[in-house]
Amino acid sequence: MVEAPTSRVWVGRLIFLAIALVLIFARLLPLDTRPPIWAAPDWLLAATLAWVVRRPDYAPVFVIAGLFLLTDILFQRPPGLVAALVVILTEMLRARALSIRDMPLALEWGWVATGIIGVTLLDRLVQTVVMTPQAPLGLTLIQMIMTIIFYPLVVAIAHFIFGVTRPALGQVDNRGHRL
Amino acid sequence: MAQNRDKEDYFGPIRRLLVGLIVFALLGVFLIWRIDSPRVERFRLAVIDRVVPSFDWAMAPVTGLVNLVGDFQSYQQLAAQNGDLRRELQQMKAWKEAALQLEQENAKLLDLNNVRLDAKLTYVTGVVMTDSGSPFRQSVLLNVGARDGIVDGWPTMDGIGLVGRISGVGDKTARVILLTDTSSRIPITIQPSGQRAILGGDNTLNPPIEFLENADLVRPGDRVVTSGDGGVFPADLLVGQVALGNDRRMRVRLSADYERLEFLRVLRSRPHEDIFDPGSLLAPQDTPAADLAVIEADG
Repeated sequence: MVEAPTSRVWVGRLIFLAIALVLIFARLLPLDTRPPIWAAPDWLLAATLAWVVRRPDYAPVFVIAGLFLLTDILFQRPPGLVAALVVILTEMLRARALSIRDMPLALEWGWVATGIIGVTLLDRLVQTVVMTPQAPLGLTLIQMIMTIIFYPLVVAIAHFIFGVTRPALGQVDNRGHRL
Repeated sequence: MAQNRDKEDYFGPIRRLLVGLIVFALLGVFLIWRIDSPRVERFRLAVIDRVVPSFDWAMAPVTGLVNLVGDFQSYQQLAAQNGDLRRELQQMKAWKEAALQLEQENAKLLDLNNVRLDAKLTYVTGVVMTDSGSPFRQSVLLNVGARDGIVDGWPTMDGIGLVGRISGVGDKTARVILLTDTSSRIPITIQPSGQRAILGGDNTLNPPIEFLENADLVRPGDRVVTSGDGGVFPADLLVGQVALGNDRRMRVRLSADYERLEFLRVLRSRPHEDIFDPGSLLAPQDTPAADLAVIEADG
């Protein structure tokens, strides 16, 4: 069991990728083709942020960039814009992951909420500047708020079902580097 | 990354450079899309054409299963529903009789007048594979594409009413922009009065009627069909009925069952031939052009 921690990182990455693909798949199912009155939370964004804040090594930046570019293409969004914003946001959170680790959940929630609001507003701002046709503002705001509200639920699922826990203080990997 | 903190001296800057490159590349893709949208949209369709059919083996059973659960819940109201359906069926039988008589009469009259109707409307039926995946865009993906002869702009119907139009054709898939999408604009005629208008989607289930000339002539319950204006669509495809929305705007209650779009017909519509030429001087074939010019100058 010498290699256990490294292989655990790879298993964690695979699990993250699988969850993301399942979330994309679920959104594409043609269950109800009526226009919605409210928007469901963006589960993929919430899950990605939860993973980046709690176990940054499970969610590499290449995977995040690829996944969000794929969703941009599949969901008829302007390709690349949301992907770029999410990569920037996750990098900012990743850099703060060490300090967020010591915070209570409420503060972590605050950081993530700020990030989600930032991504949504910047996305809209850029789209306004380059004058592309836009989604209805109300729905966008509902989706943003829903994503923020459901973030703790995503964290709970990640924590209790997929074992994405914050590394304890002083925990080391198999090469003796601090996590 | 936290685990690389010990190696950060040489790994950190490289990583930052890579992240910068990724962001730069993604923004580049966005800019290219903004500048040369058709090419990137073709690329998008090619990606969808590759990715989505590979999901299909899982998509169909999961959709079926979820619908099955939904149906199971509705079994509770089965008895009541059954009674309603019986009553409805009785009414429908009367209507069917009336329709048959009218159809015969219509056929007789058409025959008497020697009218030739447009017989070119044949169709290809496709299955809905996915929806747009976003609450902001109303479109579905069909499993028929360029290899089945689908062409951009063809109208799509379910069994009863118009659903949308083809916008984007891949080799194996085609995207249908639904009438409810914010970018959908369809020329319509409102039937007894013959008023022409535009049906503009606004991301609600009942799209509003725009550019109506005389709203007094239109009442809720009037039939709405496509007008064929602009050569976009063939004329006289059923769209729905006029209804008065809560915001006092005229809206259309669509005939197609948007709750469950499963099989869609793509109508093979050809653009009707337009007459551009105002008509020119009829002259014998061998008349020299110079003489013609003289005649025109005199006249």
